[in-house]
Amino acid sequence: MAEVRLELIEKIEGEAQVRYHYEKDHIDFAEILFLTGRGIERILEGRDPWDALAINPRVCGICGHAHLIATVRALEDCYDDLQVSAKAKQIRELTLAFEVLQNHFKWFYLTILPLLELKAPMERVLEPSRLLGEMIALLAGQYPHNSYAIPGGISGEITPVELLGVRERHQRIRKHFQESVIHVDLEQFVRCDRIETMLEREGDLPRAMQRILDWGWERLGRSHDRFIVFGSNDLFEAGKSIGTRLRRHLDLRYLQESPIQGSRARRVLYRGRSYETGPLARAMLLKTPLTREAHRRYGDSLFSRILARVCEIPRLLRYTESLIGSIDLSEPAWVDPGPLPVEAEGVGIVEAARGSLIHQVRVGEGKIQKYRIVTPTQWNLGNGSREDPGVAQAALIGLRRGDPAELVFKSFDVCSVCTTK
Amino acid sequence: MRLLWLSALACNGNAHSLLNYPGFQEWQEDFHWLYHPLLPSRYTFPEIEKGIEGVEVLIVDGTLEEGLIKNRLPYRELLLRYGDQAERIVTVGTCATFGGIFAQGGGGRSGLHFEGDEHLKGYERFWEKTVSLPGCPVQPEVLAGTLSIIRRRDPLPLDTLHRPKYFYAYTIHDGCTRNEYFEYKIDEHHFGTLEGCMFYDHGCQGTFTHGSCNKILWNGVNSKTRAGTPCLGCTEPDFPREGLWRTPKHMGIPARMPLGVPRRAYLGLAGIAKAFRIERFTRPLMEDEGG
Repeated sequence: MAEVRLELIEKIEGEAQVRYHYEKDHIDFAEILFLTGRGIERILEGRDPWDALAINPRVCGICGHAHLIATVRALEDCYDDLQVSAKAKQIRELTLAFEVLQNHFKWFYLTILPLLELKAPMERVLEPSRLLGEMIALLAGQYPHNSYAIPGGISGEITPVELLGVRERHQRIRKHFQESVIHVDLEQFVRCDRIETMLEREGDLPRAMQRILDWGWERLGRSHDRFIVFGSNDLFEAGKSIGTRLRRHLDLRYLQESPIQGSRARRVLYRGRSYETGPLARAMLLKTPLTREAHRRYGDSLFSRILARVCEIPRLLRYTESLIGSIDLSEPAWVDPGPLPVEAEGVGIVEAARGSLIHQVRVGEGKIQKYRIVTPTQWNLGNGSREDPGVAQAALIGLRRGDPAELVFKSFDVCSVCTTK
Repeated sequence: MRLLWLSALACNGNAHSLLNYPGFQEWQEDFHWLYHPLLPSRYTFPEIEKGIEGVEVLIVDGTLEEGLIKNRLPYRELLLRYGDQAERIVTVGTCATFGGIFAQGGGGRSGLHFEGDEHLKGYERFWEKTVSLPGCPVQPEVLAGTLSIIRRRDPLPLDTLHRPKYFYAYTIHDGCTRNEYFEYKIDEHHFGTLEGCMFYDHGCQGTFTHGSCNKILWNGVNSKTRAGTPCLGCTEPDFPREGLWRTPKHMGIPARMPLGVPRRAYLGLAGIAKAFRIERFTRPLMEDEGG
């Protein structure tokens, strides 16, 4: 018996509707629909290019800082020759990484644990969220929604006092991770390559992963097993991987966006194919030991996806710690880049919490002529057809009644507002 | 006190901002979320659409749009139903208050009672019970504090746009670490420095924007202007104006004067301040006084 059921998925930075098509006892097809849109790209057109630094963080209340960094990179790319001090670059990397960390904690505690019917004190999410907000604010003025990254560097100056505040809070978060998420030494955890070793430990991560195993969900939510990462820095590597086969070279000319009927979101493809982006994709490109092991056993399932995301936390903590240690405060915070060229094009790429974020700007007569934003959720949640389903669609298709469809859906960490920018 | 949070076209920044409130845990003991876009709540959104009772404060977030449907029901229907039920309505953020950024992205978009500074009549019967909390996003202390004052039934004086005076009687300029550069008319400012004031060239709207950003620091530690970013005027009806990083000039002088200051008074004071050329303000803050 064919049956169609429309469900609302809530608390995903907005909402989405999923139209499930059941055939007997399993999901035969699923359509993902976003009902509202805001038109940010249109708002930017005709404006002074610098206005994008103020407007774009407002694309999203949870990952707006990634949009700021993507914007400043796109604007800087418009210059032929532009100087940014190592200090300014490092500080921007720091605030970006702090936001990614904060998003990881929020998603794990507010979204994933309740779906596994696990309880944790509210302070376990509030404390790291608040501290990471403070760390960004110390360097950038405020969080959410600051505009401190500008062509040529950062708008203000940093003294050892701000860095001290950042260091102290960093230590506290490190402790929090070890006390609450998993009781293990960070260095040891980053090298760990056995699921059982992780499960033997105390903490909310092993509790969650054990619950998934106990309920027999570890193989659910598998998709195309194709991954893409556009951003690279000292932590992440760009490239794509199909299963475990890697290709490093990517070219933005192969990026295609297309409208989706009945939805305000646009689908995005690379050379005509859909790819998963985000922490699991990044881990597959880097071949990080524990995620690789999960993938070997369970494929690109919700188990691997959730584990990959939480496993980014200790890597980000180590990365930010080394960044803090390497900042040379005697360097300039800002080097005057001169006026933005009146005719130019630029691209800004960032690895945001949920995956690759791409901003493209075209400047003409000194104004923004065209602005294009491609968000991670477009990759993961873009709607395709029965013959060619998108990433989350493929993960939902084949689930049986009683399977945790909402968990499969949310294992991608959907950002509805980013999708309906 | 029972709260219902209804988002229209939003970025969720106001909801996330509230989580940064340092006293959140204790604060929340006095409030129950009938619905909140992030936090555990008593009802699901479809249940809200079906109809619930007991809303005491309705929190409206995001830009309203004609014909907006979030799931099954028009958003307007939800607004009217729960607006009538609630004792007070709080518009949280600039979008819900004045329309904000997203109002520029399409037709038929506005705040609950305003489109920019134009007072609309579509929800006039709610005007008396509405409190406006603009800001992009709102500071958590402003939202949490206002709700606590409402709960305690303490007096809540409002300005003409219904912003609580306790938070919006100040300007963003109040408490800025760059104040002296403004007072003594040191009009040179470069980004990437601790010194200088962004009022003269870089678009800072702090002297004529209402809010507590430099009184109640952001995340308890800082503010945009302290970090060298101009105030963007985000609590005001005309946010976001064009050319946010440049100061519009009139005869070489900033076109917009500090709040309530006549141009003549400003020019008189500026002339005197400039005449003194006080040496301290030309030296980097971290430089030795003798050097």
